[in-house]
Amino acid sequence: MTGLAGKSMDRKKHRIMMVSDFFYPNFGGVENHIYYLSQCLLKLGHKVVVVTHAYGNRSGVRYMTRGLKVYYVPWRPFVMQNSFPTLFPSLPIIRTILIRERITIVHGHQAFSTLCHEALMHSRTMGYRVVFTDHSLYGFSDAGSIHMNKVLQFTLADVSQAICVSHTSKENTVLRSGLPPEKVFVIPNAVDTAMFKPAVVQPSRSEIVIVVISRLVYRKGADLLVEVIPDVCRLHPNVRFIVGGDGPKRVRLEEMREKHSLQDRVEMLGAVPHAQVRSVLISGHIFLNSSLTEAFCIAILEAASCGLLTVSTRVGGVPEFWNAVLQGLIWIHFFAI
Amino acid sequence: MDHRLASDSPQFRPRWRKVAYGGMQPGFDDNYTDESFLEGMVMNANVVKRDMLKVMLDSVSISEYLCIVALVVLVWTYTLESTIDENCLLCIDVSLLVSGFLILLYTPEKVSLSILIHHYFLNISFFIIGLYVLAPIYQTLTRSISSDSIWAVTASLLVLHLFLHDYSESTVNAPGALKNPALTSCISVNASVVASVFIASRLPSRLHVFAIMLFSLQVFLFGPLVTYCIKKYSFRLHLCFSISLMVVTLSFVYMLHRLLFVLLLSLLVFVNVVCPYWLIRIQEYKFEINGPWDEAKLCFAITD
Repeated sequence: MTGLAGKSMDRKKHRIMMVSDFFYPNFGGVENHIYYLSQCLLKLGHKVVVVTHAYGNRSGVRYMTRGLKVYYVPWRPFVMQNSFPTLFPSLPIIRTILIRERITIVHGHQAFSTLCHEALMHSRTMGYRVVFTDHSLYGFSDAGSIHMNKVLQFTLADVSQAICVSHTSKENTVLRSGLPPEKVFVIPNAVDTAMFKPAVVQPSRSEIVIVVISRLVYRKGADLLVEVIPDVCRLHPNVRFIVGGDGPKRVRLEEMREKHSLQDRVEMLGAVPHAQVRSVLISGHIFLNSSLTEAFCIAILEAASCGLLTVSTRVGGVPEFWNAVLQGLIWIHFFAI
Repeated sequence: MDHRLASDSPQFRPRWRKVAYGGMQPGFDDNYTDESFLEGMVMNANVVKRDMLKVMLDSVSISEYLCIVALVVLVWTYTLESTIDENCLLCIDVSLLVSGFLILLYTPEKVSLSILIHHYFLNISFFIIGLYVLAPIYQTLTRSISSDSIWAVTASLLVLHLFLHDYSESTVNAPGALKNPALTSCISVNASVVASVFIASRLPSRLHVFAIMLFSLQVFLFGPLVTYCIKKYSFRLHLCFSISLMVVTLSFVYMLHRLLFVLLLSLLVFVNVVCPYWLIRIQEYKFEINGPWDEAKLCFAITD
């Protein structure tokens, strides 16, 4: 035991640069992943630097918890939170940060992020070790996916290792990028159970409350919600819905609510700040995830960690951690009772 | 620690399961690739196996439309050279109208005689009257534009029309059906109408203008409907009609200009013979991938 502990102390400390277009103050799967991963690495003694583009006025160098240094490079986001794809003009700033922070490993996130691709390309040119994490599933047949897969093939041609969040995601990434499967590691996301604790007092069972928290876009199955909610409300009079989140499909949900007169049975909360997600979750019994494609649904984990029963569409990587959720769920229920 | 290692000897390790949190599976690394890797992948599930003869027969409808447009351009050329006078043109118009009506009547479309008379006849009468009233406007529309620009613009508009035309005839239907035509088919129809207007504006008298506009619009707007009805009625009839149309067009173009004849002939051969062969040759490289990572498809239509 002591031998092993001594070995971990002597292990080399790395200086890691996380690079992605998606970071705080945005909230989402990728952003949370980068933040929590950085915190865990900082706890282990490594040094972590995050590079992302500026968000509004938030530009320059900021420090976050535990000394996490974030470079908000002063570029405007171009489309869908991505920086403008310049090929070589990003080299000076990336090179400056790499040399100034004496980085040893560069870790890029999310295939959709142009900043990530450019930073990985420049880092490899300068000879740094490069790791890439893919967070989403993409198709093969539409024009946008074909273009992105080609770019991914270029970037991943020379990467040291790649990480995917589920086995389905690994198959998808291997097919899209042509990487040898041995280079791809499957490391699923985790949830902070200290933050997502079940309620001390269970909500009463007289009325079943179903919670939905997601971005209201086509990809997350908002249209399924529009079809399902009226039928469920009609069949079970003691069921209530709480819908949190915002997006282009919110209008359709509001229309559905008006059309079937469900104002008292469907509550629309709008965008829920991340700090309040737990309080929304613990007010319900069931969590509903209706997304059409999901590499790894961290929302399900958060809900299960709060003690809710989870219902989800069987897509992407969701079937893989059903066992884990089920075991955890039973355990939490037992504990709560 | 030591006794755990002994029980997990290589030949004794349990089967790998495709679950997340693989750290729960001792003896397997994070980058372990099982034999079941990619077993959910389905290749070329929706690919249609094509037969050379069928593709060639299908491409006949494309060359049929090319010949129709070539005939229209022929009529325009002869009218501009004053080879055809306006009375002759009017006769052509009327005969085209009548034959179109007869074809619509006799093919078993969902169009009954009464609907045909009331709906189509009424609309077409309004259309013709409207054209006649607006003919003076068309005549003076491009008086300030030189003829060279007109020929150039017309040629490019016709090329655009042919390029964007909806050859699958998905927008052609009987009256009463509601369908959203694609953007490209709207653009192609507009291009053909504008080309007709430009040509009509070069003609000397109002009757000329009216006759040529009526002719062009008849062919461009109702031509696809008529050919669709023929094709639906009987494929043999469609084939005979197309081949005779091609022969007639080629002979007329031969009488007009040798070079254009060669060009048209090579274009028809390219569309009918070379393109099907090419398509079938490159079909074997098609690689369609489907699997558990695909986005789920909604089984209902989204109605806004």
